[in-house]
Amino acid sequence: MERVIAFFYCQNTPSSTETDRQMLEKKYGKNIRLFPIPCSGRLEPVHILRALESFTDAAYLITCPEGTCRYFEGNLRARKRVIRAQQFITAIGLEKERAGIYMRSAGNTKKLSEIVEELFEIASKLPPSPVFRYSEREV
Amino acid sequence: MITAEQKPIDEIRKMIAPYKRILVLGCASCVAECAAGGEKETAMLASTLRMAARMNQEDVVIQEKTLERQCVKDFVILLDDILDNYDAILSLGCGAGVQAVADMYEDIPVIPALNTEFIGETKDQGLWVENCLGCGDCMLYYFGGVCPLARCSKHLLNGPCGGSKDGRCEVNPDIPCAWQLIIDRLSRFNALDRLEEIYPPKDWSKKQGKGPRKIIREDQQK
Amino acid sequence: MNSSHSLKQILGQGHFAVTAECGPPKGADPEIILKKAEYLKDKVDAINVTDNQTAIVRMSSLAACALLKSAGLEPVLQMVVRDRNRIALQSDILGAAALGIQNVLCLSGDHQSFGNQPQAVGVFDLDSIQFIQTVKAMRDEGVILGGESLSKAPDIFIGAAANPFADPLSFRVTRLAKKVKAGADFIQTQCIYNLDRFRSWMKQVADRGLAEQTYILGGVTPLKSAGMAKYMKNRVAGMDVPDEIIKRMEGVPKDKQREEGIRICVETIEQLKEIPGVKGVHIMAIEWEEAVGEIAERAGLLPRPAVE
Repeated sequence: MERVIAFFYCQNTPSSTETDRQMLEKKYGKNIRLFPIPCSGRLEPVHILRALESFTDAAYLITCPEGTCRYFEGNLRARKRVIRAQQFITAIGLEKERAGIYMRSAGNTKKLSEIVEELFEIASKLPPSPVFRYSEREV
Repeated sequence: MITAEQKPIDEIRKMIAPYKRILVLGCASCVAECAAGGEKETAMLASTLRMAARMNQEDVVIQEKTLERQCVKDFVILLDDILDNYDAILSLGCGAGVQAVADMYEDIPVIPALNTEFIGETKDQGLWVENCLGCGDCMLYYFGGVCPLARCSKHLLNGPCGGSKDGRCEVNPDIPCAWQLIIDRLSRFNALDRLEEIYPPKDWSKKQGKGPRKIIREDQQK
Repeated sequence: MNSSHSLKQILGQGHFAVTAECGPPKGADPEIILKKAEYLKDKVDAINVTDNQTAIVRMSSLAACALLKSAGLEPVLQMVVRDRNRIALQSDILGAAALGIQNVLCLSGDHQSFGNQPQAVGVFDLDSIQFIQTVKAMRDEGVILGGESLSKAPDIFIGAAANPFADPLSFRVTRLAKKVKAGADFIQTQCIYNLDRFRSWMKQVADRGLAEQTYILGGVTPLKSAGMAKYMKNRVAGMDVPDEIIKRMEGVPKDKQREEGIRICVETIEQLKEIPGVKGVHIMAIEWEEAVGEIAERAGLLPRPAVE
């Protein structure tokens, strides 16, 4: 079963340039979608929901470590927003794990590609999203 | 402003279950301020309901739109042109908005997505507190700008009661004792002697009215 | 027990008055309250009957007072403003007077969320001070709120509660002054364990001339256990239980704690008798009414004086 996993990531993530993104897209093809954002705090819960509604089995937000956000608290706000999105999806019977946050720990210098690989592995354990059981994903 | 919170999604889904073409209608005023029914929240709810429908193979069209205000006819009337496309409106307006829309379009069911709660202020980001009961007879002058009706659990006008403890209310330790606040505030203005007078019984008829209250201003009419 | 209005007369004649408290049953059986009253007969001048205390539904205070009255006892009708609007409150005053119940304690009442009917609306149409004022006008001017005349004015001895230990401390004496100004003839205080603080409150009260304008009865509650003492200290708002009291209670074995509680209570009463301006004691031994007689005896309060 084809999985599609969406990654919203702060542009501060190590090795997350345009080139890195293109390489990842080449590697995973249709199975991932990558969305760079200036700060994880810019992500709204509706972005996660729209992604889950339209095309993805799971959506992750990758943020900077606590205390290192260049906009001070963007990453902390991001965590709360992911929780909010989780409240909505669990209310309709979707697994909480379909919306996740990866807050890099202090000193974690993993590259975007490594994080994506780790999360993709985890997300693949989830069954395909029931949202697309009877209907098509939007491309 | 008027505050509200979204109803549980289960409850909303039960109410919209019979309908096939639903307009999820947001409001950019009070409910946007309290993050319950503004454009963002409307988009979130609509998306979630669509997902639920797809998961359950329900054949239903769910679209969203946000009005500036749902409680003012001039804004609501903008729906005239599109209402034929829907058989129900799920309104994220406050109770006033839901009813204004329902009164204007009586042939289409207007379903509330929110529980309207209180008149209050945005005390801090993500924190809204009640501070006005709409009593129709504002006494804030006498109480230094702290309303004992809205902010004292027993709405005493000659408080405090014996349950004030460390400036908190014994009924709800989450809230400050309004009378402590009143005393502190009046002390700042050296107006504490105002409280030596016995404040007479409240005229509640200004709040209750004879049924729903009304304001008419002829100078404002067309 | 004397005929009606002995509380007023006893205080008027300068005797140290004794009142106690009694809670109606959570049911319709009149015997329960009459049985409690038996313990108190001739030990006290009047008996307070609580009004749905803690917002828990009990037999109405007015009915229970009528039962006490029919058994030859003098009741003090406690009335809270939580459950009734001004129409009902004024109506109940007339009813009480008609039944010969002439002592009324005007209270706010515990918030409805504390009891077993948390979904009820809390009325609070009047507050306790406005209620005192209303009763006074009914009695002295024969009018209800709004000025309409009564066919017969009720003769009521008006009481109010006072809490010397509640916050905000700076305002407590002013609040008492308001109650007196509104028409409180007598005051029963929250139960006292900290006599020093009570003394300093009484001094402020007396300095304002309030002790002359109203009869102040100090409240006491015998402790049943060290656990009860700690509970009251930590979990009940507006209560001051000094550490020495806790230590005393903890210092005796469990089966002796009730006795120690009574001893502390008796000592407190003896000290209250010596404080200028204190005109009586209000013994609140809820669900332990049997102890009242012993306390009154040992505190030298018996026999109760007879009045005409």
